[in-house]
Order: sequence, then C-alpha cells, then structure tokens
Amino acid sequence: MWILRIDMKELSYKLEDVPERYRLLYGRALTSQMIFDEVPPLCHALGPNNKLVFSAGIVTSTSAPTSARVSVGCKSPLTGGIKEANAGTSWAPDLASMRIRALVIEGFPEQGEKYWGTFISWDKDAGKPKVEFFDATGYTGQDVYDTFPKIYERFEGRISICSVGNAGEKSYGNSGIVFNDQAKRPSRYAGRGGVGAVLASKRLKFIILNEKGSPGVDIVDKPLFDEGRKKMIDAIRSHAISKPKGGLNSYGTAVLVNILNEAGGLPTRNFSSGRFEGAAKTAGEAIFETNKERMGKEIYNHACSPGCIIQCSNTYYNTDKTERTSCIEYESTWSLGANLGIDDLDDIATMVQLCNAYGLDTIETGGTLGVAMEAGVIPFGDSKGAINLIHEMGKGTPLGRILGSGTETTGKAFGVRRVPTVKGQSMPAYEPRAVKGIGITYATTTMGADHTAGYTIAPEILGVSGKSDPLSPEGKAELSRAFQATTAFIDSSGHCLFIAFPILDIASGFEGFIQECNGVLGTNWTAADIVAYGANVLKVERAFNEAAGIKAEADRLPEFMRLEPLPPHNQVFDVPDSALDAVFKEM
Amino acid sequence: MILDVWLYGELRKFSDTPNKIGYGQMLLDVPEGYRMRDLLERLNMPTAARGITFVNGNLSALPGFQPDLEHVFADNDRVAMFDLRSMWPFQYRNGAAMTDSMRQAVQEHPEQLMHHEHSEEEE
Ligand code: SF4
Repeated sequence: MWILRIDMKELSYKLEDVPERYRLLYGRALTSQMIFDEVPPLCHALGPNNKLVFSAGIVTSTSAPTSARVSVGCKSPLTGGIKEANAGTSWAPDLASMRIRALVIEGFPEQGEKYWGTFISWDKDAGKPKVEFFDATGYTGQDVYDTFPKIYERFEGRISICSVGNAGEKSYGNSGIVFNDQAKRPSRYAGRGGVGAVLASKRLKFIILNEKGSPGVDIVDKPLFDEGRKKMIDAIRSHAISKPKGGLNSYGTAVLVNILNEAGGLPTRNFSSGRFEGAAKTAGEAIFETNKERMGKEIYNHACSPGCIIQCSNTYYNTDKTERTSCIEYESTWSLGANLGIDDLDDIATMVQLCNAYGLDTIETGGTLGVAMEAGVIPFGDSKGAINLIHEMGKGTPLGRILGSGTETTGKAFGVRRVPTVKGQSMPAYEPRAVKGIGITYATTTMGADHTAGYTIAPEILGVSGKSDPLSPEGKAELSRAFQATTAFIDSSGHCLFIAFPILDIASGFEGFIQECNGVLGTNWTAADIVAYGANVLKVERAFNEAAGIKAEADRLPEFMRLEPLPPHNQVFDVPDSALDAVFKEM
Repeated sequence: MILDVWLYGELRKFSDTPNKIGYGQMLLDVPEGYRMRDLLERLNMPTAARGITFVNGNLSALPGFQPDLEHVFADNDRVAMFDLRSMWPFQYRNGAAMTDSMRQAVQEHPEQLMHHEHSEEEE
C-alpha cells in the first residue's frame, strides 16, 4: 500500500510507504487525519497550502456488498473547516486495487491558465502504479456530459474518471467533484463543501484510472471476511428498505418526500413552512409511476457503483423514452422542488441534470435559489426562472458568480435574514423545527449542516441505550454523538451509508459488517472499538476546525429557527444550547 | 364531519382515484366518533397493508406497530397512510411529533422507536 503524492507545481509524483500510524486508517479516517497533519488550518482553501486527499474504504475493492465508496478530504472553501465528501463509483475500487491507500494532490502550477489531466495505471514490470500527465486545457469550460465521452474515447480499456465542472473551474464554494457511474455518466458527485473548486485550484481537470493488471487488496483472514460478507448480504437482501424491489430499489431516496411532507418537516419556500401542497408530484412514488407510464413497465433502480446490491439510483425518462436525468435523489427533488415552491417533476429533473453538467451541488444550489427567491430575484414557483439562474451560475455571469458562492454569501449579498446554513453550508431536507434530533446533528457536525453525519445504529449494540430518555434533549445529544461516531466509521469502511438500515435492525448484519473489516485488516474489533475509531475521526476533525477558528460557538442553528414558528406544527427549535454543547463535551 | 385522506404509493388503489400518479386523495364525510379502525374498514384496507401513518402530521403508526386503531378523529383531520416500501429512518424522525397513543406506546416499548419492523409479512 502506498501514499501517492502528485505535485502540481512540479508536475511530478512520488510513492511513499504508508506509515505505521496510518496502518488502520482508510476513507474518511485517513483523509481527515492527513488534512489535520499536513494542511495549515488557517491557509486559504484555494491557495497552495491546501491539499486534496482521496482514499477508498477498508473493504472497498473486495467482494463486500455495497462498498465502492471513496472519500475526498480537504479544507473547505465553503465552510473554512475540514471537509469529507464521498461518492460511490468504480473509481474507488480501482484506486484501492492499485494499492493506493491515499492519493494526495498538492501545490499548483505557476502557469495558472493551463489545466492538466493525470492518467494513473498499473506498471506491471515495476509492480507499482505509474502516473502520466497530459494537457487538459482543451476540455475546460464545457459540460461534463460532453467531456466524459471524449475521455472514454481517448483512453483505451476500462477506465474510471474523476473530474470537475465549470463550477469548480470558477472557484465556487458550490462545486463538487464528479465521478463516473456504471453507465459512464458523470453523475456521481462528492458534492458538498466546494471540493470541486479545490481540485480546479490545483489546475487538475481529470484523474483517470486504469487498474488493469493490478493486484487488488489483501485480505488477512479470508474465512472471517467471507462469513461477514455473507451475513451482510443476507441482511441487505431481507430488509424491507434495502432488499430487491424494496423501498430504496423502487422509490429511491425520494421516497422520503411524502413522509417528511406529512410530518410537517419538508422545508418549503426557503424554510418558511414544513409542508408543500405540491410535494406528492415530486416524490419517489411519482418518479416510479411516471416512469412506468412513460416506459410502459416498472423500472427499478440501478447501482451507482460495482457490487452494490441495494441499487437505489433512479433514472428519470421523457415521454419519448429518452433519458432526462440520473439520478433524482431526495435531497435534489426537495432542494429544487418544495424548497423553491416548484412541483413540476420534468423541470426538477432538468435542474438536476444542469447541476450535474455544470458541477454544482444540488443541495447548495437549491438552498441558494431559495434565498434568491426570498430576496425577490425571481418568484417562488418559477421553475423556468430557476433553470435560467442555474445557467447563469454555470456560465459565470456576475449574478451567477454570487449564487455560485453559496447560500450564505447569497443571503448576505441580498440582505436576506432567513438563511438556512450551519457553518456556511446549506441545510438539507429535514426541518429542525419539526425533527429536533436532526437539528442537533446539523448544529454539531464538523462538516456544516449535513444530513449524512448521524445515521442511526442500534444504541443497544453501541452500549448507549438506557442511560437517558431518547425523547429528552439530553438523550438526543447522547444519541447524536454515538450516531456521528458510528457514521464516521461507516464512512471509513467504504460501505455506502445505506447499509445502516439493515444492520440497524438485523443483528447478524451488524456482526457481519465488523467481521468483514476484521477479516480484511486482521484486527479483533468489537462494536465498542468501531465507535471509538469513529469518535477519534470526529476528534481530529474538531481539532482542525478549532484551529481554523470554528469553535463550539459555531455549533448552532440559524437564529430564525428559534424565532419563527414553523407551520403546520407552529414549533420553533427549542433544544437548549446546553444540549448542543453536551454532544461533544464529553468526547 | 370531514376527513382529508391521503393514500400514498400502492395504497392509492384503496382510494377513489387509483390511477392518479403517486397518490390518491379524498375528502370523506364521516360520523362523529369515527375511529382509524372504521376508516380502514370503509377503505377496505387490511391494517397490515399500511406502514407509516400520520394524523395531522403526528406519527400514529409504523410498519407492524399500530397503536392507533382506536384513535378517534376530529373534524377536518388530515390522515395519511404509506405503503410498506416507504421508510422514515430514525435519525430523520427523532423528535418529530407523535399522536398521544403513539407517544404512550413508545414509552412502553422504547425499542420500537428506533427500529423498522422486520417481520415475515413484509417479505
Ligand atoms: S445504495 Fe445507492 S448510493 Fe449506495 S452504493 Fe448503492 S446505488 Fe450507490
């Protein structure tokens, strides 16, 4: 296993052995640790001292199900703090298979206008990866749906692509890093926190992998790994949410639209209501049934990456059976739908496609447009106007550049008071005034408002149940800490977070999850060990943030959520600050 | 009195607009004292067919956990039912509003709060 460093100043690379202290660190655990160790917390996120670290998870590139995830870490230009964003893509196992534990991009070239691509392949004779550089300037300023086919044509064999779109090239705080899906679409985004701008600041347009001939990862205890793998597969295949033709495979993550809407927790028209009258037209059920009507048959969802047996990614079709976009996630149909007062699914799909094409994060984009609508730039419900504004962002008009800077900057530029962000990052699709527990996680995660920071793992397994009432603020704080720590471990394991559903409810699935990791690493971890592993990741991330000037006082929701009661329940966010502070006080 | 009933996904087949995309919705005129049990009977829906259920935005049932059969409706209540493919992970409902009977049932069976019922009927 190596750490591969690409120096964009010298256009050179070197392979280093993985130091002993990183031996058990993978995925988010490694990206966060390396950012902490190597990036000065006060550096400019788009300056020469920031670095980008890519790392696949512990079991990525093995036959473990639903585990082709890669973490991307850096200092975020959006939040000013540490960032880990991850994506499911064949790029992840290809990186791991070449035994590259971490890929680090550092420095930037003196000639600022030129962009480069790198091609990383396995050098059979030398028995290690090799890196070639090529001039990629000619591919800039374009829709990534146009550049990807050109790259597939240029490079022979099975390749995986990592790239950045216009949004990153324009240094937006709202810009993701894009990876290919299984159908060669540029649609799998490590979306949040402006990671795309950091890659583009290095003038690196492509990181292309061809792992042909590479050895793959070692598994220390194969029988243990196989036992764990089998239990995981059984759990995933039998749970109502994750099984074939189950919740995620039928309706995708957008199954949550109607649920949150009925619960009064679907943020509507820039977080001014918890219920949207047009929600049902934008939901997973509507996507499934519109496809059925247009295609003349039921269409189940597909895998975003190799080896996924949950398969939650949808494709949305036009009336002429051509593809309109893939994939419409819950967060996207909400941010560009209810959040903007828009209920036209075709227009929402167009907006998702445009975000992908320009390299924008759909959550940050919807959050920003919501604030712009509040400011009167265009009215709520104006889907054509919203499509135009996304074009302005992609093209980099003066207004587009303000919007591309993100929700918080847009709020300041237009003097809007209701700005739904935490630590500078736009809030996802769960209203904290209606769902108080998620508010605690939004406020306290190291990443800025993030819905993937605290997935539920059975507290009785983690040993945190029974100590306090889960319905009380104190109980919720305790649960949030445990959930955030376990989530940090799942993000390091290489598994998609959606394995959390079956392993929460099926004890043997949880056992299998740990056995897989122990099998690969030769460790003897227990449930308590993985919580401790995850807690350590959070400690490192919090230490970086603190040194970057983001201290415990930043663990708060925006003030309007304490002042404005949210219909239909007419509740404010009333979790006391002491409960928010309690989340990490004991860690 | 009037009930505003929303039936999502497959459950729309129990509504009077079974061919509508994604959901069925109807206003029903019902007598005073009408209960969830009566509504299910009128819809001809076996209670096991429904999963997550809300009354006025308050969670009243989860898949396989239905403490709401005796719930008595009031005029203009909004009732929403979801099919068994629907879901609501605990982290996204921790702290959400519940009906009184749900709150009480959860206090008696706290383990039900976090888990998604994994029963044979769902297989
Ligand atoms: S469950 Fe969905 S997001 Fe996760 S790896 Fe599978 S297809 Fe991708």
